[in-house]
Amino acid sequence: MGPPPVVTGVSPRDGPPGTRIIIRGENLGNDPKDLIGLKICGVDTLMTAEWKSSKKIIARTGPGKGKGDIIVITRSGGVGSCTVGFRGFFVQIGPLQDSAVWIDETQTVLANLGRGRPSSPMISKEDEDPLGISNEGNRAKSEEEMLEHFPDASGNLTLENFSPAWYLLENHQQASFDDLKMGLSYMKRRSSQQSEGPITFAKANLSGILDCLDSLTEMCEKFAKDDIQRECINSYAVSLMQAKSCADGLFQEVLGRKDKADATRNALGVLQRFKFLFYLPLNIERNIQKEDYNLVINEYIRAKSLFEDSPIQVFQKVYKEVESQVMKFKEMLQEKLRQPNSLEEQKKLIKYLMSLDIDNDPGWGCLLSQEKWLTKLFMDCKDSNTQEIQEEVPIAPPRHKASGGSLGLSLQAESRRELQEEAPVPPPRHKTAVVSSGLSLSGELVKVTSKSSDQMAGQKFKMPQKVVFVEELTDIMGRHFPDFWKLGQAYFSGSLHKEGGDKSYKPDQNKHAQFKQMVCEILRLFSNLLRAAFLPNSLENLSEKERKMYGQWPENKRDVPGAWLPHCVRYVRSCASSLCRLDLPSDCQACVQELALDMRTNCMFTLLKQAIADVRSLHIKETWIVELDDEFGGRTQLPALFGNIVNETVQHLHEVVVQNKTGETEIFSQRPVQIEATKLCTELLQGFAPCLEQLAFSVDKPNTTSTQSADLTSGSSELVMESSEDHLPSKDKKLIIMLSNCNHTKEHLIPLLVENLNKHGYVEMNKVLRSAQETYEKLDKKLFDSYVEEKSNPIIGSMEPNMYRGRFDWANYKRVNGVRNYLKEVLMGMIEIHAEVFSISPLFVSRVMTKIVDAVAEEMSRLVQCVTKFGENGAIQARLELLALQDAVALYRSAATRKSFKEALDCLTVLTQDNKKTLEDQLNKFKMQFKFQLMCFHSDTGEISESKT
Amino acid sequence: MSKAKTQQPAVIHKVIMVGSGGVGKSALTLQFMYEEFVEDYEPTKADSYRKKVVLDGEEVQIDILDTAGQEDYAAIRDNYFRSGEGFLCVFSITEQESFQATSEFREQILRVKNDDNIPFLLVGNKADLEEKRQVTAEEAQHRAQQWNVPYVETSAKTNANVDKVFYDLMREIRSRKMDASKQNNGKKIKKKDSKRKKCTIL
Repeated sequence: MGPPPVVTGVSPRDGPPGTRIIIRGENLGNDPKDLIGLKICGVDTLMTAEWKSSKKIIARTGPGKGKGDIIVITRSGGVGSCTVGFRGFFVQIGPLQDSAVWIDETQTVLANLGRGRPSSPMISKEDEDPLGISNEGNRAKSEEEMLEHFPDASGNLTLENFSPAWYLLENHQQASFDDLKMGLSYMKRRSSQQSEGPITFAKANLSGILDCLDSLTEMCEKFAKDDIQRECINSYAVSLMQAKSCADGLFQEVLGRKDKADATRNALGVLQRFKFLFYLPLNIERNIQKEDYNLVINEYIRAKSLFEDSPIQVFQKVYKEVESQVMKFKEMLQEKLRQPNSLEEQKKLIKYLMSLDIDNDPGWGCLLSQEKWLTKLFMDCKDSNTQEIQEEVPIAPPRHKASGGSLGLSLQAESRRELQEEAPVPPPRHKTAVVSSGLSLSGELVKVTSKSSDQMAGQKFKMPQKVVFVEELTDIMGRHFPDFWKLGQAYFSGSLHKEGGDKSYKPDQNKHAQFKQMVCEILRLFSNLLRAAFLPNSLENLSEKERKMYGQWPENKRDVPGAWLPHCVRYVRSCASSLCRLDLPSDCQACVQELALDMRTNCMFTLLKQAIADVRSLHIKETWIVELDDEFGGRTQLPALFGNIVNETVQHLHEVVVQNKTGETEIFSQRPVQIEATKLCTELLQGFAPCLEQLAFSVDKPNTTSTQSADLTSGSSELVMESSEDHLPSKDKKLIIMLSNCNHTKEHLIPLLVENLNKHGYVEMNKVLRSAQETYEKLDKKLFDSYVEEKSNPIIGSMEPNMYRGRFDWANYKRVNGVRNYLKEVLMGMIEIHAEVFSISPLFVSRVMTKIVDAVAEEMSRLVQCVTKFGENGAIQARLELLALQDAVALYRSAATRKSFKEALDCLTVLTQDNKKTLEDQLNKFKMQFKFQLMCFHSDTGEISESKT
Repeated sequence: MSKAKTQQPAVIHKVIMVGSGGVGKSALTLQFMYEEFVEDYEPTKADSYRKKVVLDGEEVQIDILDTAGQEDYAAIRDNYFRSGEGFLCVFSITEQESFQATSEFREQILRVKNDDNIPFLLVGNKADLEEKRQVTAEEAQHRAQQWNVPYVETSAKTNANVDKVFYDLMREIRSRKMDASKQNNGKKIKKKDSKRKKCTIL
């Protein structure tokens, strides 16, 4: 590597950015390519460097400021050093000076603006000292120090409070007195130079001024000379004229042709220029066909602004054609507007019309036609649906209605109608209904189902016509009404006009009221149509004619199967709530809300009634299969079915009753509704009682099918009654089974159901609970009494004859020989009852047995008291038998029993010691003999069946 | 280069070239610095040169400030003069005006430096153009004697006496510095006094 470059000279040594400098030194590179770097004041300026020789480079400085090194870098010598530097500074360049670099003027210009006056020329150069004395560079005193000495002054030349002393101290502290004197004279010289400005200008341009004067005199002389030879000019003029006319003649033809050509060209030019107008009729037609209405309108407006007042005939002619076309276009648009269309489309059309400056009010017209259209849609929908119904009437056989009524589904097998576009949504109840019909053991139902099943297979279940109607109507409402409303809103808010034209259009208030009335009418029509279908009673106060208008639904078809009602209600409610979201005026909305509420109430009542009917017909579903349960005792599946019906209904109604959407009235807020609902609930819960009663006391016409299927289901956990041989349990068994069912219903089911109802928001459930409990209480008592009667009668009735069997005589009884058979028979009878009751419901054992024992004891006591005379042995025998009975039934003794026994025993004479012993012996003997049989009276556990055997 | 820096001699003699425009100040400088002669004339603003030289066996640095001769820059001359330690006052023997101007420069220098004995050489350049001579040697010599400074005639073109004037001036400067350092102590005290005086004026 060669020696490093050294910069030893720079020319000039300072300057603003962009100064061309000559850099001299040693080893500045062997050739231009050797030079690979040049930095001046830290700024890379290699781009500007021009290599001259190894001793000289010419370059331009960059935006470096202050004193800095000049470093040359060469490939051969590496990074160099320098003995001299360059001082860069920024010159304030005025707006009139050339500058090689970009000047950031924001600072200076803004500062000047802020100061509000132009900077003095005296200090345009920062470097320049007004005294002409060189600046020493180092300030002896700082600004703060100066401020201490001159509190109110400033060292700034441009400020009002400039203090010369400050300035001198600050800038020329070192200067000698002589220097200052020199400076003063310099300042004087400068100011005198400035005042001599115009004179110096004249001096500098002396020769130019003299030249001007010379030429002026020369011209003056020439004119004077020409003036003498005036005649000469006249002759020239004549000959010139002649020459001109001759030339004119020569070129006349050519010029004429040229004029023509120009005219033609001009016409062509005009055609070309106004091509737009001439093509406009064609374009409009084409664009209308393409439905590019925006373009049509824009072009028309442009043409209008250009040519409307044009005086030129051609333009007027074409423009008239355009006008007539636009008129047609307007008519077409209006026609289109009258047709139902989407909201956006209609808004667009209205805007088009507005921008076409149409006279009448297209928005209003559109609203009117929309209203008519909507009304027509509603009516059409109603008509088509009522017609459909009437067509169907003769075809649909009534038996389907019956089945639909009881099962909650309508099978319109014969329907010839095309399937609905939308697959019918099966109501939630539907499925369960089918399932329950499958389970159903009612022969009639099975028959119906099987009969229609083959026809059903090929077809879908068809929705009742009214449901179809509701769906269609609400669909129309939901789809088209919001558009109508929004259009109205837009119309009145003026947004239809803003874009259309600049004129601020004010829709008048009359129209507002009219529109509101329109909305109300549409809503009323909607609600009345639905009312006519579902709640015809609510329309009774309307005139006959009006009612006819809203559609008459055939009476016999009036009842829509309950299962569909929630479905309908759902549609109506969703429709109502969507209307609610539209911010309709409250009075308009009210009728729809009312409708929704009425529908809900109606739905609730209908469903509840249906549930009641279902419950009442439950008895046909009894299977007499008793399921044993440790907790509740034995029962059949009937209570469970009952519970299911209630719960399902409640579940089904849940949506209708409980969930209140915003803006809807609480369904129970009205007192009549409340009362009715409570009544229906009560009826529903009570409805099961007659059913049980009927079953318990029915003199059975055996429904054979049910018991047969019941046999099949008998399992280990279920006790099949012995009556399965003769298909039905005996009457007393039925009684006890129903008793158990009743008890279970009363104790468990009803509270559960009531709680459920309560949970779903039904009111006054306590009352319902109480009345239901009462009903079941009564039923319970009735059943119980009849059962006990049923059971005790045979025993009691056989007691007396048996007692006196074999001419038994209390007075002449020979020998006490154990307890007699009649008592044993009584006991056996009681055991039998015990077993029966226990097998059905162990809970009732004590209750039943107490009653029975009571009756037996009473009879016994009566018999004993009736005896006129006891022999000695007879008394012992009687005592023995009484005691034996007393012991045996000790467990079920009641106060009445005890009293009976006591009375009986009191009739007997007191025993002697011997007799007592005999009595005891006999009693023990009896106990030993009847040990097993008696055991059942002592323990309540299920060892009875063993003991019996 | 790091070597150069470390060995950089402490002594720098600061020389300033003064004289009217076009008398050959830059030519003399460039001849001395780089042994080159530039024919074409380009007015100088202020150029800076510095290089190592051996002065009587001692390595020193000479710092040359080549100033502008044009009147335009007269105002900023004061600044330069203040930093100068020795002056080469150049005129052209072929131009009487340039000779006359030298006294102005002399005056200004003395005013700025405030020192009658400032190292100063009167240089008559373009000695190669004897046929165009307007300023006689005697004339110049006379003025130099008046000022008590040496007069040397040079030619930047032929390199005659170029080195001599720079070296002579450097010797002058060196001897001045020697004197100054001898009196250093006394001066310092004086400086303090002067400062005090100024304060009292304020």
